Amino acid sequence: MNGAGRGVAVAGIGSTVPQRKGEPDIRTLTLDACHEALDDAGLTPADVDGVFQYSFGGDAPIAISTQRMLGIDNLTAFNDIMGTGPSGLASAMDAATAIATGGCETALVYRTITTAAGHTGVLRPSAPTVGGAMQFTAPYGYAGGIILGMAMRKRRRIAELGGSIEDYGHIAVNARTWAARNPRAVFRDPISMDDYLSSRVIAEPLLLLDCDYPVSVSVAAVLTTEERARDLAKPVVRIDAMAYGTGAGADWVFGDDFLFGGSIPCARELWRRASYGPDDLDVAQLYDGFTHITISWIEALGLCGIGEFRDWVDGGRTIGPGGSLPLNTYGGQLGAGRLHGLGFLTEAVAQLRGDAGERQVPDARVAVVAGAQGPQAGAMVVARD
Amino acid sequence: MRGDGDVTAKPAPAPDTFSEPYWRGAADGRLVLPRCGQGHLSYPPGPACPRCGSRALVPTEVPGAGTVYSFTVVRQSADPAFADDVPYVVALIELDAQPGLRLLTNIVESDLERITIGAAVEAVYEPRGDQVVPQFRIVEGRGE
Repeated sequence: MNGAGRGVAVAGIGSTVPQRKGEPDIRTLTLDACHEALDDAGLTPADVDGVFQYSFGGDAPIAISTQRMLGIDNLTAFNDIMGTGPSGLASAMDAATAIATGGCETALVYRTITTAAGHTGVLRPSAPTVGGAMQFTAPYGYAGGIILGMAMRKRRRIAELGGSIEDYGHIAVNARTWAARNPRAVFRDPISMDDYLSSRVIAEPLLLLDCDYPVSVSVAAVLTTEERARDLAKPVVRIDAMAYGTGAGADWVFGDDFLFGGSIPCARELWRRASYGPDDLDVAQLYDGFTHITISWIEALGLCGIGEFRDWVDGGRTIGPGGSLPLNTYGGQLGAGRLHGLGFLTEAVAQLRGDAGERQVPDARVAVVAGAQGPQAGAMVVARD
Repeated sequence: MRGDGDVTAKPAPAPDTFSEPYWRGAADGRLVLPRCGQGHLSYPPGPACPRCGSRALVPTEVPGAGTVYSFTVVRQSADPAFADDVPYVVALIELDAQPGLRLLTNIVESDLERITIGAAVEAVYEPRGDQVVPQFRIVEGRGE
């Protein structure tokens, strides 16, 4: 991994089937995903000496619980990452750093999330007075997590950078187009631009189909040294580079760059470290918890200029099947369900190995992956040699 | 105690060491923000300037004048205490006092057509519990 010591590769991927209904046990979900990832890598729990997980708290087993459930004797590196990082991708980023710097050899990472956790999102304070950061938001009816902030970003972006509501629709329509090709996606029926435009208003101008869909799921990956990965069965997918970004005055509401958050400095650092540039990409997997986030990553990463998304996306052709840069080929969180970040990495790995079935992008060799946005940006370039 | 049973009262701010001058100013109908030695104003009020890290902050009154940076119209609130207020407007207001200095607030305006990005606004003050929260209203004849 450029600039960070030893080379790191993603050797195995796994996930459960995203569920819209029911209350599955988070331990069962996590074990199912972790065993699938280990089997995929051709490894066993005995090979694992690092565990990293990202969660809001309570929605996923902590790292040492998973260690115990897998019967691993000891961990030389582990961490439970709270929900203030670059989504589930943070688990893989933390593991990559640990492996690159010799903290562990082979790490299991996962993001387990449930519909219950997905619906909480700090809906309302439970006291007549509110302190802390919420004293500046809750008195104004700013409730429901970052939904109202996303609505304001959408309106501001159109006013400041041009474009139209349809630009956002291209992200939503594209997600469903690809989800139809993913047997595990929750929404396998394509939608039209009219479907998008006529979807329910959540908070003007944010529409229902701008928002991803909460599911219960676990996504896992096995990371190890590039050297070790070369002895395993699957094609080696290297983490070529990665970077975090927060931006000045980092905050979801009050940060300096309301539209892009930390994505621009994150992308700048990513490309400085990477062996590749935007023109080398074969596929992109960019966070789509809200359509605004995906558009801002596309521009921040320099896939087009700032404010040029509308021309670049070419009515959706650029990012769809057969396009010049297929985007969110598993359906993203808008189509497959809220896998919460790590799914973008596992899909990139599937694409680079040529294992993506009906949605395979021919001869994909270089991918960019981005998690979250706002003051919690993180991104990776992954590649198959 | 506003707990699980009481969802009717809108939340009031609970001032802390660093926000107390701000909320006290609001109670007097004034906008009082921390200002560092380099002249940076900041919001929300905290223990240090987010631009330079200075902890030597002086509460400073600024004009309650600004423009609409962005806004959303809420027609179904996630907080039941605001159920009777819908539709209500949540907005980011950029204060004239310093470029990029933004407050999250409400725009109090029954004619939603008057609310546009760049529209000029001025602070108004709404009693809330034992506190007063600054909100904004559209003003005529001064915009971008």
